[in-house]
Amino acid sequence: MISKFKNMNPLSVRKNAVNFLMSLFRYVILICLGFVIITPILSTLKEAITAQSALGMKNSVWIPSAVSLQSMTEAFLILDYWKALGYSLGNTAILAILQTLCAALAAYSFTRLRFKGSNLLFGLVIFTIIVPPQSIMLAQYISFRNFDIFGIIEAVTGSPLNLIGSPASIYILAATGMGVKGGLYIYILRQSFRQFPLSIEEAAYVDGAGFLKTFFKIVLPGISSSLLTVIVLSFVWNYADTYYMSLLSSTKLQLPLRMTQIQGNMRWAIMDIESLVPTNYVVEYESPYVQTAVASACALLTILPLLIMYMFVQKRFVQGVERSGLGGD
Amino acid sequence: MKAFEMKKSEKGRKKSFYKDMPYSKKRVLWGIIFLIPWALGILIFFLGPIVKTFYYSVFNMSLGTNGFTYEFVGLQNFKYALTIDPTYNQKVLEALADTVKNVPIQIFVSLFVAMLLNGDYKGKGFFRLVFFIPIILATGITDISIQDISLTEETSQTFVNTQAIMAIISNSGIPSAVINFITEFVNDIFEVITTAGVQMLIFLAGLQGISPSLYEVARIEGCSKFECFCKITLPMISPQILVCMVYSLADSFAKADISETISNTTFTNAQYGLGASMSAIYFLISILVILIATAIVSKGVFYYDK
Repeated sequence: MISKFKNMNPLSVRKNAVNFLMSLFRYVILICLGFVIITPILSTLKEAITAQSALGMKNSVWIPSAVSLQSMTEAFLILDYWKALGYSLGNTAILAILQTLCAALAAYSFTRLRFKGSNLLFGLVIFTIIVPPQSIMLAQYISFRNFDIFGIIEAVTGSPLNLIGSPASIYILAATGMGVKGGLYIYILRQSFRQFPLSIEEAAYVDGAGFLKTFFKIVLPGISSSLLTVIVLSFVWNYADTYYMSLLSSTKLQLPLRMTQIQGNMRWAIMDIESLVPTNYVVEYESPYVQTAVASACALLTILPLLIMYMFVQKRFVQGVERSGLGGD
Repeated sequence: MKAFEMKKSEKGRKKSFYKDMPYSKKRVLWGIIFLIPWALGILIFFLGPIVKTFYYSVFNMSLGTNGFTYEFVGLQNFKYALTIDPTYNQKVLEALADTVKNVPIQIFVSLFVAMLLNGDYKGKGFFRLVFFIPIILATGITDISIQDISLTEETSQTFVNTQAIMAIISNSGIPSAVINFITEFVNDIFEVITTAGVQMLIFLAGLQGISPSLYEVARIEGCSKFECFCKITLPMISPQILVCMVYSLADSFAKADISETISNTTFTNAQYGLGASMSAIYFLISILVILIATAIVSKGVFYYDK
């Protein structure tokens, strides 16, 4: 121990001190910002599980003074939770898979099956990322109101299809790569296809695999971590998307959409389900505290599937992000 | 004679358009096939609507029993949107101001946080887990939580009493403009952190891609940490800065309040032509801003492998 101190010159002491301060600084900032991120989830949770009689009390900040599942029960009923959850998850999973598939095909074409004009078309992908979707809202709406592929449908059935209000409209949008942030997935996957060794593909081709087989059996499994990243991103953004859902599909079951619709009139929502609440709870809907608590419970139930999914995929998601080599030119 | 033989042998084999195609042509063919879904999408749901938006914007449209009826009005819709409509102007300017203010902050904060997250330290797995949460609880849903906070703030005591800190700072003699900027920044930190998730992710991936040997060499040559940052990290990460900037700008424009104005004009008030012209103006402005910003920033971008 003493010899260790003897060997230390003033310079290295100073260096150690600087390093210690740097890591202290890192932890302080990270913990503070992490706190900022986690706070809303915790406060929503606290609000949601506080007994309604204990709401608005000033003596509890983080730990509820009395716990009860009443707000949660009411939120369950208001959201029609199991039905809405099943619909949202199924719907979102379909959208995420369609988007990822289309983006993967396009990105592969842009990296490995290039032809004249590929670069120009990739420029269009960037263009789709930067154009705000709201600016083509009306025209997009009309293109689904009178849905047609170059006049083919009109020639067959006599009139274009009206796809507004049917889930097919958002599925079509996702499958053609124009859904929520569709361009971004092409961009991310293009980066990871670029890093995939060309020699493996060539070997597969020499051994007699066709392009489709090479793509699905060799290349896609090879970039599985970036693929997971894209599927997760697509899933959460489609789940949270209320813009296309409310514009094109008339669904009332998508959880976040339901949540935003209910939020403005919590009072009526609670009144509506009054008769369904178990009789051991006293239903109260006039108090703004109760309304906030039930709204919090709804919000919590809405984000819960995402949090649970994140728990499962987080390790691979974080790795995928690091390996995907996002960004670049 | 030889040519005749070749013809014969070709005839003898089963003729196949695909199999006889040279490899390079097959690549092109499959490249096109792989692009078909996307190409359909971009034609029908993207380029088509853009053209149509500009087309609609010069008409006065009304919805009758048998579809839309068009009445040509020229540039009148544009004139109305820019000079007569009470809120449109203001909303466009607000969207622009918000973007100009928020995007640099977003990029700065996300680069800063990504640099803190990067590297080797205890608990790095945990911190990454936490900092990616905003991406998972994307857009709309976090807004709900934010609203909840503002609702509950009056009912529960706030965790930190900011007023005392404010009083100390404002009496310390720092110019009020600086204080205002700092307090606004601190107040916005929640929003910045929750919307900067993707940018953080891009920067983190970029930082991981920088070869450690570069830093090693720099250290041997006697560079300080700050010099390392300026001479290695910044140039190496500059492509990501460009990407993040474009993404942040697009995100900021897409999230702006103005979409509500456009959608109200278009669907609630059924002024389809006017809505289209508003959309067209907003489209042009946002594209222009992004192009200018890209042109400026891309001059400073350094590509390692080119």
